[in-house]
Amino acid sequence: MSEETQEPRATIRHRRRWSSVWLVPLLALIVAGGLVWKHYAGRGPIAYVRFETAESVKAGVTEVRCLSVRVGVVERVDLADDVRSVVAEIRMDPDAEHLLREGSRFWVVKPRVSGASISGLSTIVEGAYIELEPGETTLPVHHFDGLEEPPVTPSSVPGLRLTLVAEDAGSLASGSPIYYRGFEVGRVERRRLDIENRRIRFDIFIKEEYSSLVRQGTCFWNTSGIDVVAGADGFKISTPSFQAMLSGGAVFAVPKGGVAGEPAQDGAVFQLYPDEDAARKSIFTPDHRILLYFDQSVRGLSPGAPVEFRGIPLGRVVEISFRHSPPGDSRVPVVIEIDSLTLGKAVEDIQDSTAVLAECVRRGLRAKLSTGSLLTGALFVDLDFVPGAAPAQLAKVGEYDVIPTESSGLAQLQDKLNSILTKIEALPLDDTLEKFGTAADEISITVKDLRGTLSEAEGALAEAKKLLARDETQNLTAELEATLKQVRTSVDSLGPQGAMQGDLARTLDELRAALRSFKVLSDSIEEKPNSLLFGREGSGDPKPRAKQR
Amino acid sequence: MEIRSAAEQGLASCHLCGKVSPVDLGECPRCGCKLHLRKPHSLERTWSFLIAAIAFYFPANLMPIMSVGGLGGTSHDTIMSGVLNFWKKGDLLVAIIIFAASILIPILKMLALVWLCLAASGKTRTSPKNLARLYHVTELVGRWSMVDVFVVAILVSLVQVGALSSVLPGPAIVSFAAVVVLTMFAAMSFDPRLLWDQHADRDLPDTP
Repeated sequence: MSEETQEPRATIRHRRRWSSVWLVPLLALIVAGGLVWKHYAGRGPIAYVRFETAESVKAGVTEVRCLSVRVGVVERVDLADDVRSVVAEIRMDPDAEHLLREGSRFWVVKPRVSGASISGLSTIVEGAYIELEPGETTLPVHHFDGLEEPPVTPSSVPGLRLTLVAEDAGSLASGSPIYYRGFEVGRVERRRLDIENRRIRFDIFIKEEYSSLVRQGTCFWNTSGIDVVAGADGFKISTPSFQAMLSGGAVFAVPKGGVAGEPAQDGAVFQLYPDEDAARKSIFTPDHRILLYFDQSVRGLSPGAPVEFRGIPLGRVVEISFRHSPPGDSRVPVVIEIDSLTLGKAVEDIQDSTAVLAECVRRGLRAKLSTGSLLTGALFVDLDFVPGAAPAQLAKVGEYDVIPTESSGLAQLQDKLNSILTKIEALPLDDTLEKFGTAADEISITVKDLRGTLSEAEGALAEAKKLLARDETQNLTAELEATLKQVRTSVDSLGPQGAMQGDLARTLDELRAALRSFKVLSDSIEEKPNSLLFGREGSGDPKPRAKQR
Repeated sequence: MEIRSAAEQGLASCHLCGKVSPVDLGECPRCGCKLHLRKPHSLERTWSFLIAAIAFYFPANLMPIMSVGGLGGTSHDTIMSGVLNFWKKGDLLVAIIIFAASILIPILKMLALVWLCLAASGKTRTSPKNLARLYHVTELVGRWSMVDVFVVAILVSLVQVGALSSVLPGPAIVSFAAVVVLTMFAAMSFDPRLLWDQHADRDLPDTP
């Protein structure tokens, strides 16, 4: 080699053992290491979410979004150990780690079509994704149970969340609207069957701006479908709005006479009544159960029938059963429940409901059955103070107070007579009355005659006295005899064979006949109340008809 | 017959214009470039570029290289997962090509360079003919390895169909590019004459 001829310059170059080129691998190591470290250390945590199926969830593709912002991606989808569900491993973005906290909810957003709404249309094109709704707490959790149905309103939206409990689901479903005076103020978010209590529970959401409308005294009722009710107060047809008819819906309001109370709290539970009537009836608070014994047929009286006090709803019939009847008693026992507070207003301010009742019964409060509707024949229990009622006391049978009853046959007839007055007018009553008047006139004439006759007799007697006072009275015997004969004739005309008597008897006969025809009419009405509307059926005689071919 | 190398006679070939001049001149009389017998710090540079390339090889393979968005969501693929996907789908040829171009060849290239470096510093004994062939192949094939970089670059510029489909480069693509460039630098800065120097030193006594 040429080391011997090397110049000092070259020696200096050789001495530099560490060339600057070594910076390249150094930098490369730092950068590459940094990249790898960032990739693994900064990958964010994994959330394990359990779903019923992995339908439309794809590993590596399905994103997790929070308010449409990507916060992670499904990394793997595995069957759960029990092979009944799947577990999606979701790799969260590092800056979204705080979203994995207690109360966070996951559900798959995919196209859904329900009666009331279509949602998730965009996912048809861009694929399903998992929506994450962060919980309220800050407690970190990594295992979640995914929801099968999306909650209609995210809990981040302010508003009132309530639960309605109903006996029957009706046509109320998820997404059904909630109306207040026909205006939509909220929605049903979810319905589920409460197996334990055998009831349907609806989770509903009322928008923030309307939440103050819901009070503690508010009643909710179903408005789905057309409602035809034939009750003691006649026919009633109610239809909601067309949309509610199609998709169902619920209405709430504070029923008339109810107390609104404080605004409802979040999560409060309300009863969902099948219709407005039931809701309205629900506001009275029965505090007293009373037993009534009716000595007549209770056909037409059903549990739930109203109990009224002079037309004011006071309670309802609870039970009609011979269970409460003492042996050997054929009267029909009817259990009613009433709000004695209303009744208490009728007497002085007595607080104790039993004392109120006792005082009322002492004053003549009686129960009777009344016809609410001639068309349906439905009965209701009418409580009223009966003037001149036989004195009675509030009795007690078992746990129930007993209010004495009164047969309502007459009152019923009276009501019917009132309602059919127009028909009565068509009856031959006028003639009868006219005849009656004539007879009365005749009587008065006769009486006048009689009076005249009597005064004549008086005069005659006075003269007779005078005559008797005279000596020649004896001679007047024949004259007196004639006078007496005259008197007898007059009196005879009033006797059983007299003309007067005959007239009266005839008049009374006709009156009797008229009353008989009333009776026939009332009987036929009682049997067939609708005959008032539809007329009587034709006679039983067969009618000749053309031969059927 | 004795073969005397130019280096033994104190002659150096200019790196730029190739003119052979006495190394004592210091500068090439034709182009003014500095004269060296061998590429200065050749092994040192090769090693450093090689190490840098190996360092970048890890992120290049561990991180997603490409995000393909389209109907049904976005998928992120690393090189290996892409190969596996193709393999699973039955596109064996495509999988093999990608695997070869993007994983196998870079690794082999780096291994070859390591071997050459070791040989140049006298750590291994291989015939200079084979080493020369290895070097040749390394330099020739090496620059065509990791075609992914170019594929991705082309795809990204071509496939942007709005919401329907889009291709975005992943974070690994820079590392990939770095590996390609660094291995090229490493191959370039390696002076194959060092291999023969090793051989010449050893073989001289045997050669008459």
